[in-house]
Amino acid sequence: MKGRIITAALALTALVAAGCGSSSSSSTTSSAAASGGSSSSTKSCVATIGIEGPFTGDVAVLGQEQLAFAKLAIDMDNKANGTNITLVQGDTQLDPAQATTVTQQFTSNSKMVATVGPAGSQEVQAVGPLFGRAGMAFITGSATNPDLTKSGKNPTFFRVVSRDDLQGPQDANYIVKNLKPKRLMIIDDQEVYSTGLTSAMIPIFKQAGIQVDHESVSQKVTDFSSIVAKVTPETTVVVLPWQVAANAQQFGKNLAEQKKKATIFGTDGTQSSSFTIPGSYVSAFGPDINSIPADAAIAAAAKAAYPKYGTFGPPVFAATHVIDEAISSVCKSGQTPSRANVLAAVKGTSEASSILGQPIKFDSHGDLIGAKWFLFKINNKGQYKLVTNT
Amino acid sequence: MRFFIQELVNGLTQGSLYALIALGYSMVYGILKLLNFAHGDLYMVGAFVGYFVIQWFGGSTALTIPVPLLLLFMFLLAGGGVGMLGVAIERFAYRPLRDAPRIAPLITALGVSFLLENSMLLLFGASFRDYNTSAFIPFSSGIHIGVLNISLTRILVIVLSLVLMIGLRLLVDRTKLGRQMRAVAEDREAAEMLGVNVDYTISMTFFLGSALAGIAGVMAGLVFNQIYTLMGFVAGLKAFTAAVVGGIGSIAGAMLGGLLIGIAEAMISGYISSTYTNLIVFGILIVVMILRPQGLLGRAPLQKV
Repeated sequence: MKGRIITAALALTALVAAGCGSSSSSSTTSSAAASGGSSSSTKSCVATIGIEGPFTGDVAVLGQEQLAFAKLAIDMDNKANGTNITLVQGDTQLDPAQATTVTQQFTSNSKMVATVGPAGSQEVQAVGPLFGRAGMAFITGSATNPDLTKSGKNPTFFRVVSRDDLQGPQDANYIVKNLKPKRLMIIDDQEVYSTGLTSAMIPIFKQAGIQVDHESVSQKVTDFSSIVAKVTPETTVVVLPWQVAANAQQFGKNLAEQKKKATIFGTDGTQSSSFTIPGSYVSAFGPDINSIPADAAIAAAAKAAYPKYGTFGPPVFAATHVIDEAISSVCKSGQTPSRANVLAAVKGTSEASSILGQPIKFDSHGDLIGAKWFLFKINNKGQYKLVTNT
Repeated sequence: MRFFIQELVNGLTQGSLYALIALGYSMVYGILKLLNFAHGDLYMVGAFVGYFVIQWFGGSTALTIPVPLLLLFMFLLAGGGVGMLGVAIERFAYRPLRDAPRIAPLITALGVSFLLENSMLLLFGASFRDYNTSAFIPFSSGIHIGVLNISLTRILVIVLSLVLMIGLRLLVDRTKLGRQMRAVAEDREAAEMLGVNVDYTISMTFFLGSALAGIAGVMAGLVFNQIYTLMGFVAGLKAFTAAVVGGIGSIAGAMLGGLLIGIAEAMISGYISSTYTNLIVFGILIVVMILRPQGLLGRAPLQKV
């Protein structure tokens, strides 16, 4: 009998853990109370916002980084603005179905005025109409598919990052003009983000007369030695439009193991302290915040909160900050934050500078106006050195 | 030819790890008829134990002990620690359900899998961790002839895996514990009546299977460098496939299945395209299952009439 009770308890614990891991249930995680009000009108500036991201599951590494930066932004903004904004998190596991469930929970929560996320373009496609019907602003820090803003189906959607149709050609043109390969290999990781960038780049390579070897490998693979064996002596560049920086690091090690000399060119998903193969290039939609003096305090706090952060955190900080400032401005105008007035304030955002090293202002579709493109080269110490930005 | 050998070595490395994990699946299934879905996560725990041993001794770039000693500690602690974890899982999660309908321990195994994954996620975060093996076992060591490059780490993994597999085979075939394991697998009640300590035998089976998974986790860290809390899922799935292809319940079958799948993956990736690796590998699985449902080296179940 005792054994059965232990088993039942264990099974219950296991199911709870499984539930935490796989469901889209949300929980209140942060309620940073105002530590010093800046004006009498904002002392009672109370609001709830959500964050959707893959906090567990295959790309939890991405979601946890985003969550850490969102919490950081809330903490800093609450202190700076004297607001009391609470963050509610919803785990989507990068799955549109999970994201839909979380969004239904968020939109049915009358206290919630805006949302950060979701992370993936496929998720935004699924939840955009729901947020639109609810009149709730949602800002992503990583969904880059062009259709999200072109289609007109997501009227309350905003993003603080560039689009694939801008990044892909910019990457490809840089490779053609500056690295001048006669033959290159491009490997997608079978995710929408990666295949989209690959499709945007290959025609440009072919038009330039470059022999292109296209490979495809699951994001879940951790050994690339079989593909690396196919990198020929004539192949001077390997393009990795990947989301998992650690995989790019392993690819670089496999190259070294087999004494292959090809240069790796990674896209924004590989921009991370986990990817440090010397001589590699990494393009990004944001700068290295460690190199921006104005970001020093954020970089130090981020280092403490999430030591191995990469490219996914800072844009989410920017997205959260946009919402925080919108709420603060609503309060300062004497109104109580609601979905409608926060949405209007987000639409009217005009930040002269941001953590991303550029102004933040949205066009009528929700795209970032003047989104910059950054290119880094990794030096022998594994540090990212800016090559160019446009 | 050198390209073929390179891909063969790549496949043998991956296949050896599949085989070591598959052995645990197969042993547990053989003795309890339980598909222990938490087994892949034990491999993940082993990889983390190995990582923390490296950190304990100064980190990959500043080791305070000789590399052979470090490797010994990594394998012993991962094997022993994960082996004990396997025993604990059996004792508290599976033993109370030994006589329950088969679906109950199966669901519990899934629960234990999620429990391990999410506990590790909460404890150590979602970040990838890097063994950075080349800092203490340089790529320059090993075999380098023209385009053929086989690192010492890969040689170590293949050789150690073969030694472990042969050792396990000898243990099962030639020791008292092995006879007890075979007896329990054949007929648990009859073995008990003949004086076999069934609980002890099952615990030892879990210990051995889990220890092999833990050691495989360390090997994966050494050769593939990057470890993370969900790394056990795909590896476990492939190893389970290997166990089924080889004939679940058969130790030799698990070894054969693991090596076959690893080599097939490398050859398909090398000679056809990595795009089709899973498609073809699982296509082969379906063909094998249709032609030989009991697996390559599995025994067809006896029909009692």
